[in-house]
Amino acid sequence: MSALPSSSSPPPAWTCPFCALLCDDLSLQFDARGTPALIGAQCPRASAALARFDDAAPPPPCVDGQPVALEQAIESAAGLLRRARAPLIGGLGSDVSGARAWMRLADACGAICDVAGGAGQSAGLRAMQDRGGYFTTLAEIRERADLIVVVGSAPGERFPRLWERIAPSEPRAIDIVLLGLPTGTEVDDERARIARALPSATVAAHAAAPDLHAEAATLSALVAQRQVAGASAAQRALAERLRGARYVVLMWESGVLPPQPELVIELLQRTISTLNQSTRAAGISLGGSHGAASAQQVHTWQTGLPLRTRHGPLGLEHDSWRHGVATLVADGAVDALVWIASHGGEPAPPPDWAGPLVLIGHPSFAAAAQGRSAPSVFIPVATPGIDHAGHQFRTEFSVLMPLAAARAQTLPSVAEVVGRITSKVAGA
Amino acid sequence: MSSLLLRGGRVIDPANGVDAVRDIVIRDGRIVELAPGEHAGRELDASGCVVMAGGIDLHSHIGGGKVNLARLLLPEDHRNGLEPLPLPDNPLEHASLGCCTPGTLTTGYRYAEMGYTAAFEPAMVFSNARHAHFEMGDVPILDHGAYVMLGNDETVLEMIARGEDFERIRDVVGWTIRASRAMGVKVVNPGGISAFKFNQRALDVDAEHAHWRVTPRSIVRTLARAVGELGLAHPLHIHASNLGVAGNIASTLATIDALDGHRGHLTHVQFHAYGTEGPKKFSSAAQQLADAVNANPNVSIDVGQIIFGQTVTASGDTMRQYANAHLANPRKWIGADIECDAGCGVVPFRYREESYVNALQWAIGLELFLSVKDPWRIVLTTDHPNGGPFTSYPHLIRLLMDKTFRNEQLAKLHPDIASGSPLAAMTRELDLNEIAILTRAGPARLLGLRDRGHLGPGAAADIAVYRDLPDREAMFAKPAWVFKDGRLVAENGRIVAVPTGGVHFSEPEYDRGIEKTLADAARRRGVLDPTRAAISRDELCTCANHGALLPHECKLKVGAP
Repeated sequence: MSALPSSSSPPPAWTCPFCALLCDDLSLQFDARGTPALIGAQCPRASAALARFDDAAPPPPCVDGQPVALEQAIESAAGLLRRARAPLIGGLGSDVSGARAWMRLADACGAICDVAGGAGQSAGLRAMQDRGGYFTTLAEIRERADLIVVVGSAPGERFPRLWERIAPSEPRAIDIVLLGLPTGTEVDDERARIARALPSATVAAHAAAPDLHAEAATLSALVAQRQVAGASAAQRALAERLRGARYVVLMWESGVLPPQPELVIELLQRTISTLNQSTRAAGISLGGSHGAASAQQVHTWQTGLPLRTRHGPLGLEHDSWRHGVATLVADGAVDALVWIASHGGEPAPPPDWAGPLVLIGHPSFAAAAQGRSAPSVFIPVATPGIDHAGHQFRTEFSVLMPLAAARAQTLPSVAEVVGRITSKVAGA
Repeated sequence: MSSLLLRGGRVIDPANGVDAVRDIVIRDGRIVELAPGEHAGRELDASGCVVMAGGIDLHSHIGGGKVNLARLLLPEDHRNGLEPLPLPDNPLEHASLGCCTPGTLTTGYRYAEMGYTAAFEPAMVFSNARHAHFEMGDVPILDHGAYVMLGNDETVLEMIARGEDFERIRDVVGWTIRASRAMGVKVVNPGGISAFKFNQRALDVDAEHAHWRVTPRSIVRTLARAVGELGLAHPLHIHASNLGVAGNIASTLATIDALDGHRGHLTHVQFHAYGTEGPKKFSSAAQQLADAVNANPNVSIDVGQIIFGQTVTASGDTMRQYANAHLANPRKWIGADIECDAGCGVVPFRYREESYVNALQWAIGLELFLSVKDPWRIVLTTDHPNGGPFTSYPHLIRLLMDKTFRNEQLAKLHPDIASGSPLAAMTRELDLNEIAILTRAGPARLLGLRDRGHLGPGAAADIAVYRDLPDREAMFAKPAWVFKDGRLVAENGRIVAVPTGGVHFSEPEYDRGIEKTLADAARRRGVLDPTRAAISRDELCTCANHGALLPHECKLKVGAP
């Protein structure tokens, strides 16, 4: 295994698969152990993920903790699924070609599919299915946003290069408001990240009063110029700034909003809708890392319905509440779990799952399928954007980024492994 | 080599001037002639049947970002109240549902079982091109291709605004087509999607974009000339200004004028043929538009017929979708500004027979079909799903072929339309030859598909064999046999094989020097740089699910319109 191409040529441009920003302005260099590192850019999330790769021989596939040949692991996985009556295919940490493959497996064994941490993604979807919304993309924000309101989180924690990605090539006045961040430390850290990438931006922080739902409701009403008893001067001032800006961007992460995030998102979209009557405004939801956005897209385009749909005997049963990974595992409502996680340390399989497990993952997951009392299969797979070319959707769901291989590697891809399991399940 | 003979059908093949009872022989996926004394390996008795080339839909929103947003927005289309829709009873079909927002799999099955063998996505966003190709690759059986959207991207608008050399702009168009593996180029509300990002709410053909100060007229003329000179078979595909606005016939006629003699294909013209007469200040301008089409041989159209019932409108035209969003039914809609490149608006809609406006739209579409004289320049579409789902094509064909049926439907509509529409007095009934032109021969010619849309020797064996039933809706809903590249894919409305279709794309020539300009622009705007934005043939193959690659060579034709 070695880096592609030879070390004498300039490092090729590389697109990072480790969060939903899919930064494409990066390059890698490999150290003597074959571990890649970023050149000319800082990103703690990418660096942590890259540290999991080296030239060491990958662990072998295992069945019930014992090393086996790939073919036998695939046969065992297929047997486990043939015996299952209600399997769940979860995690879905893969690329578009991987998603095409597990879609066929879901059909063949009547599974439910959901991503890791799907609560946020499905809450965002519920908000959209109730009222719709108006959205924007990174390049549009960079081109024209003059007021960005970040609601309820410090997105730089999970998307470290966010502010660099939306920094215009020629500095212009941008106002950024951090609304309803839980702690002062988070505000300070986010301010520092913004200051590094956008030195000319002004940054203000407002606490949510008394909570984010109420704050979003108050803001929505004030922007619509309704009377709100008890609204603070800061809230009134923010509403005026929103009304006066040319292109407002509201930004949120549905995965880390407080419980019932769809209610907050609906209020934010109502604010956007009101603003669009006279000026321009749009929203952006940050999330969908590790192939989660790609999984949602592929499931939807092939079947017509989003994730959290059972490919069952009655038809395709979509249930955004009942068919989530956490709920199904906690309720014991499934009897086998296929967990797909090809990117590295995340997403990890649910720790409380004690039933039959097929873990199709990055080599570093080997231990997670050891020492279990239920039947367990582990199959190490290659990583899209490191070991093979692929495609993942960026956070906005509109830009589909091509990923290139960064090194030569021999592990099979998720698409290949799942395809072979499906052939055996369907052929039975 | 095994060959198959379709014996004794009435072969309707207007591209070759054929309407006669004759045999058709298929071998190795092609239509061939048997040598004297040679016999086919197998025979099918097609007597009493009408044999046509496979249908070709040149404007159907089958894949890409806004189509998938429509699916996400409308789970209602994929279940029956609270109950799931039943699974297909055909083991060859994977679970996939929906009517106005069908999954890609069901899109392929339903098209093929009606005798269609190709469909083209008309509104591919450049930054979303890979997504569109992946979705189309997951539409089984059908060949496919897409038109990439230009004329709202900041790059071309800036170049026109700066008065840059036409040849440089033509290079950008050529590069964009090749990079995105597009079959053609579409312009949507020229300049209007971009203008909406600058908070402009209307843009007439000779009005200026609020920021770039360019007019839709200059955008249309520039792009139509570029597409012609690059040698694309399909003329510039134009979604004109002012979609849905009363009185928009003026801007539609102005758009034809803006072509300056260059070829142009005006799409879903039903939505662009409105006058301002009558008590509701909303009237049919179908005759004016038909007159213009009849008088301008450089112009072709597709209709975008509306069909009553639930659907969803999915468009790149954020400016007009925003204006119509208050009509959303159910009351929800999605809009987006996309990557300094494009936009999209998804608005669910229910066309109602008792609505004056909807009834008028229905009548306008049919008036257009019956008033345009040259069938080679008018294509049968519902702008799926915007006017209605493609599954309503057999119904639409019956409306065009059966005056009695048409007038029965007209009588059910809003009384002012039922009694006042000129449609009631129109006696024309399209014949099978004309239907064959509107649904396969014509679109094949407008797309430059030399071996499709006809049944001459050497043509691809994409063939639909219909029973000649008096009820034309029943006839066109479930053909007896459908062949795709010689393979039987559907029989009596049931899928019997699921091959992967191919992808059509154009390969125009351009000056590679333009890539430096594009790289600079990409850096400035933070979009994907041109080397990685370009989709290689290998990558296209992955996206298209390893279907056949169907490239179309283009020869530069400088100067002539």
